[in-house]
Amino acid sequence: MAPKIAKLFASVAMALVTTGAAHAETLYVATGGSQNMVDYVTDYLGPLFTEHNPGWTVQAVGTGPGDAGSQAILEKLSAQKDQDVWDTDVIVVNQLKTAEMVEAGLLQKYRSDIKTGDMVTSDVSRKALGTDVDGFVMPMFSSQTAIAYNPDMVEQVPQSLEEIKAWASAHPGAFGYNGIKNGMSGVAFATAWIYAFGGDAAKLIDGPYDKADEAGWDQAFADLKAFNQTVTFTPGNAGTLDMLNRGEIVMGPVWVDMFYTWQADGRLNPNLKLMLPEPGMPGQPYYYAIPAKAAHAEAARKFIELATSPEVQAEGIVKKFNWYPGIDAKHLEGILDQASWDKLFTDVSPEDLAAKAKPFPLGAYFSDLLEQYETKVSN
Amino acid sequence: MISRKASLVLVGPALALMATLFLLPLGYSLIWAFREEEADRWGLGNFAKAWEFYSADILFSLVIVTLSTVLIGIFSIAIAGYLTLGRIPWAVALLRWLYRWPLFIPFVVAAQVMRTFLAKNGMMNNALVELGLLTPFQTASFLDWRGIVITFVWKQTPFVTLLVAGAMASLDRSMIEAAQNLGARRGRILFGIVVPQVAQTLMVGLILSYVTMMSVLSVPMMINAQQPTMLTVDMAWRINAYGDYGVANALGFIAYLMTACVTWVYLRKELRERGAHAR
Repeated sequence: MAPKIAKLFASVAMALVTTGAAHAETLYVATGGSQNMVDYVTDYLGPLFTEHNPGWTVQAVGTGPGDAGSQAILEKLSAQKDQDVWDTDVIVVNQLKTAEMVEAGLLQKYRSDIKTGDMVTSDVSRKALGTDVDGFVMPMFSSQTAIAYNPDMVEQVPQSLEEIKAWASAHPGAFGYNGIKNGMSGVAFATAWIYAFGGDAAKLIDGPYDKADEAGWDQAFADLKAFNQTVTFTPGNAGTLDMLNRGEIVMGPVWVDMFYTWQADGRLNPNLKLMLPEPGMPGQPYYYAIPAKAAHAEAARKFIELATSPEVQAEGIVKKFNWYPGIDAKHLEGILDQASWDKLFTDVSPEDLAAKAKPFPLGAYFSDLLEQYETKVSN
Repeated sequence: MISRKASLVLVGPALALMATLFLLPLGYSLIWAFREEEADRWGLGNFAKAWEFYSADILFSLVIVTLSTVLIGIFSIAIAGYLTLGRIPWAVALLRWLYRWPLFIPFVVAAQVMRTFLAKNGMMNNALVELGLLTPFQTASFLDWRGIVITFVWKQTPFVTLLVAGAMASLDRSMIEAAQNLGARRGRILFGIVVPQVAQTLMVGLILSYVTMMSVLSVPMMINAQQPTMLTVDMAWRINAYGDYGVANALGFIAYLMTACVTWVYLRKELRERGAHAR
């Protein structure tokens, strides 16, 4: 009897495995950005895609925050350039590296092929730091940096970069940021510094590129070097939040979405507040894109279509992860409850955002800015 | 007796492995440090850029690693000396049992441990505050160059101590006893008799530690968010953020030079002594 049952089980198991194998397909997603971006795909979007497309599983790989994370994806694609089929189906990358990938011919146009393609009309869906990326990308979300502070320790909250500079020198060690090598919130702060003290910010954002515009940077960077003597350096985007929470610093630049998410999870002192100083700080979208020779391009389009559908943008992007939606906000009306929508703007109002949320500068200026930070500030 | 040919065949695979997995990439990175990819020519451009961007970090690495090596030397002599000359058996046994622990802990874990230990509101400061030795306002974070040095010394001292204590244990004790009989104090015995005899081993241990510390990425990355930082962090940054292998290779070349200096001292001494034996 026993061997018979065993055989029966074995054949059933075999059948299950083989039918499974026949239908099981895996979509490979590579995402830059902090850990929350990987969590978004593995914990939320991946399972949802499997639910809508039985037989498919989503495998997500995180490549890390900042330019380095997106650079890793760029290098992976360039390394496969001569192959017929590439092993990554969907990538999630920042603006600077997306622009480089489009220029290098590593991506395919797909926006007009998906139903949600016309739900986004913002500038960032067509231009990435000055490079034309129209058709190649869908914004996954937009995010914004701001200054987080502890109101119990700051009597007069500085309202501009100029006031932050004065406040930090009056309170040595109380302001903290992560330099430019450990994540984008520090890069955003250095950029905001140049916008405030380095000359014409609008020219850096709109172009055209002219090296002569960088004349004012020398003094701005010299001041930043002096400013750095009075601040605490934090180990990363999450590191700044950690140190704020432990009371080791009192003020520092953070990503708005991470700030709200940590607060909602109880990982951050609920008293901490956000503020967007004059003349503004940069924010950025992350893009969904499909590599030029992705093995599962059809499924990749479905994946992005799902990810940019109003329902997912409302539930996943806004409600669960506190990002601003990638598609136009009007498509979320009626899907997202008012309370969740308002939560996004607790400390930083839509008016603030309209006036003081800036993009990062043109790619060429941006590279110069990062290089000069290294030569003039950190060395 | 194995014939000459047979012994060559025996070492062949090991040599081939060394050549392909170590010498080839080493030579490749040394040569490509002189390649200016953008200008499509050979030259010193990468080195100029490395110096322009990271001169402070180059000096910082040198100072940190040298200081750590000196401290490791001092601590390992002290510990090994006590293991050899200590008179309280239980204290010697306890020390012998304790000192090896950090050997089994990887650098990245050591760095993580130190992060929680040395932070402004970390375990060390909290303990000091609890003991009433400091007030919360006096505490300072050690997560800067001091943190790197502390971690390096904590992690590498046992390694050098292990070598030095072994060498000390194998010394002829009659000399130590003779000195004791003549009334020499323990410090005098340690520095006058024991250390000179194990100097060679101590040197090897310290040089190996120096080279190891020069190559650690995790510790400066996790502990020292400040500038300046160590060369390994800059190399990782050039490659990860820019795919700029030229400058990274140039930085690597500079790190090789720094380690080559100490290795050269060691080899010279070694050769001289071997020569003396041969004669």
